[in-house]
Amino acid sequence: MAEIQLRNLSKRWGSFVGVDNFDLTIADREFLVLLGPSGCGKTTTMRMIAGLEEVTEGEIWIGDRKVNDLEPKDRDVAMVFQSYGLYPNMNVYDNIRFPLKVRKVDKSEHDARVMKAAEMVELTDFLHRKPAALSGGQRQRVALARAIVREPNVFLMDEPLSNLDAKLRVSTRAQIKNLSHELQVTTVYVTHDQIEAMTLADRVVVMNAGVVQQVGSPTEIYDNPANTFVAGFIGSPAMNLIDGHLAGGRFTAQGTEVTGLKGPDGPVTLGFRAEDATVSNDTSGQITAPAYSMELLGDATMVTVRVDGQQVNVKASKEYRAEIGDTVSISVPPEICHLFDRQSGARIAV
Amino acid sequence: MSTQAKYRPTWLKIGSVVFIAVWLIIAAFPFIWTLWGSFKIELDFFSIADWTNAFYGRNTEATYGSPFTLAGYEGAWIKEGFGQNVINTFIVCFFVVATSLTIGTLGAYALSRSSYNYVFWLLITALIFRAIPPITLVSGYLPPFFQYNVWGFLPTAIIVLVAINQPFTLWMLNSFFQKIPQDLDESAKVDGCTQFQAFRLVIMPVMWPGVITTGLFSFLLAYNDFAVTSMLLAESNRTMIPAINAFLGTTQTEGNVMFAVAAVVSATVPLFILVMFFQRQIVSGLTAGAVKG
Repeated sequence: MAEIQLRNLSKRWGSFVGVDNFDLTIADREFLVLLGPSGCGKTTTMRMIAGLEEVTEGEIWIGDRKVNDLEPKDRDVAMVFQSYGLYPNMNVYDNIRFPLKVRKVDKSEHDARVMKAAEMVELTDFLHRKPAALSGGQRQRVALARAIVREPNVFLMDEPLSNLDAKLRVSTRAQIKNLSHELQVTTVYVTHDQIEAMTLADRVVVMNAGVVQQVGSPTEIYDNPANTFVAGFIGSPAMNLIDGHLAGGRFTAQGTEVTGLKGPDGPVTLGFRAEDATVSNDTSGQITAPAYSMELLGDATMVTVRVDGQQVNVKASKEYRAEIGDTVSISVPPEICHLFDRQSGARIAV
Repeated sequence: MSTQAKYRPTWLKIGSVVFIAVWLIIAAFPFIWTLWGSFKIELDFFSIADWTNAFYGRNTEATYGSPFTLAGYEGAWIKEGFGQNVINTFIVCFFVVATSLTIGTLGAYALSRSSYNYVFWLLITALIFRAIPPITLVSGYLPPFFQYNVWGFLPTAIIVLVAINQPFTLWMLNSFFQKIPQDLDESAKVDGCTQFQAFRLVIMPVMWPGVITTGLFSFLLAYNDFAVTSMLLAESNRTMIPAINAFLGTTQTEGNVMFAVAAVVSATVPLFILVMFFQRQIVSGLTAGAVKG
């Protein structure tokens, strides 16, 4: 059990900045998700914690030890790799047992611990197979079992679900959530999939271009995005963002007029979530435009219009119907709106 | 319909069988001819009067009472002590393979896992050295070897052969190591291995096809080498190939061609056995991709 502290952590390759001044304390037993598009520095951060990448600047503390100069093996972390990193010449049993063997754990304990780990990930039927004879999901579970068999201080998971097909991803996600709940180990999880982040995390760190954009619980990040990047990255669909002007609490853009907002006059970006707005066929709403597309989602109908060249999505009830090209009206009450500075992208406190 | 798709015209079938048969005969003919001839005497095998003598062995029959004789083998192995040459060859091969594989695996692993730019130039330099004809290097070696009185001994030849061989083994093993994903090293390190343990316990077991293939190539280089061994070894320390050359004789010394022919056959047989024994590893090593998790 351990707390992880990242103190002003930076990674640079020459003039290229991979991670810029990352400062965060990950609480003991916390499930932390590093979220961001590819190349944002999330994997580099994790690899620095694991000891696979050297730190350019800053400190990493695991528990009460500064680990900057420790080898990966001395940091007491376990890692699940995106490509699983299974040993192809060993069968499942030996793969899971490997960490115990190289760490010279008492031999009499091996069997019980391997079996327990294999049971937790439901692999007991495949112990004598080689990795090549396993499906993607089973390989994934071997990697998980190999990580948990040692009962480490810290789990690191690098996009563990990205090589699985969509259906398997959902079930394995639930399995990881359940495992982490059962094991109560500090976990750092890297993903570019915001749904994984929302479902698994105690706290989410959203990164972009090496810089931390926002740290917070999934609901905080979803409800109060710190800037337009987070707003446009989190949620499915992402938050609607419309560039316009604010003057005396009145926001105007092409075909759009929202009143009753609070904020300084000037160029701003207005944001609102698809499920917060409502659609009607009259002209009573704040945005009036021809319907650009209609998608039936089963539980809802997604209506898309275009404002100033940008798509705006709104979730209507599943009974709602309109033809493409029909004029629709979207009601955007001021209380669902978020305002961002158009230059910096930062949220404007209301 | 599916039988229709698989149908090949008869002329194509016959043509390809004939082509392969002819090719096989042409390819195998020198070996079979030598094997056949090694049981004849020189008068038959190199008959000027009638080439069919080599086939029927008329003179052999006249001399020994049978169209086949082991005289060539007896001469090479018993009179000339070819056995010692065989032992020398295997000593040279063993140490060349062992040394160049040890240095090669460690060095190539380090190169394949290094992110520095000089790795590329090291490998290019290695390739250039590999491209230089060995004989040009040998002439440079000779004066110091004479001066320090190390000429003529097996270890000297072994060191030179390793030096000539090493760039190639490094190059080949490096390309094998590069096909092994770095994730394997990294997961081994996180699991508790030192870098060397990761190499020994995780990477090497996956590398066997590559090591065997590379080892076989360096074995063949040492086994077949003529340039280095003929220049650097004293008569008493000769390996098989220079010994066979000596059997052929020079302008000064009289040789016995049939000893050479018998020795050639003796030297070829182990190669056949070796390649057949390791053929599976060689194929999987050459086709690679066998290391995917």
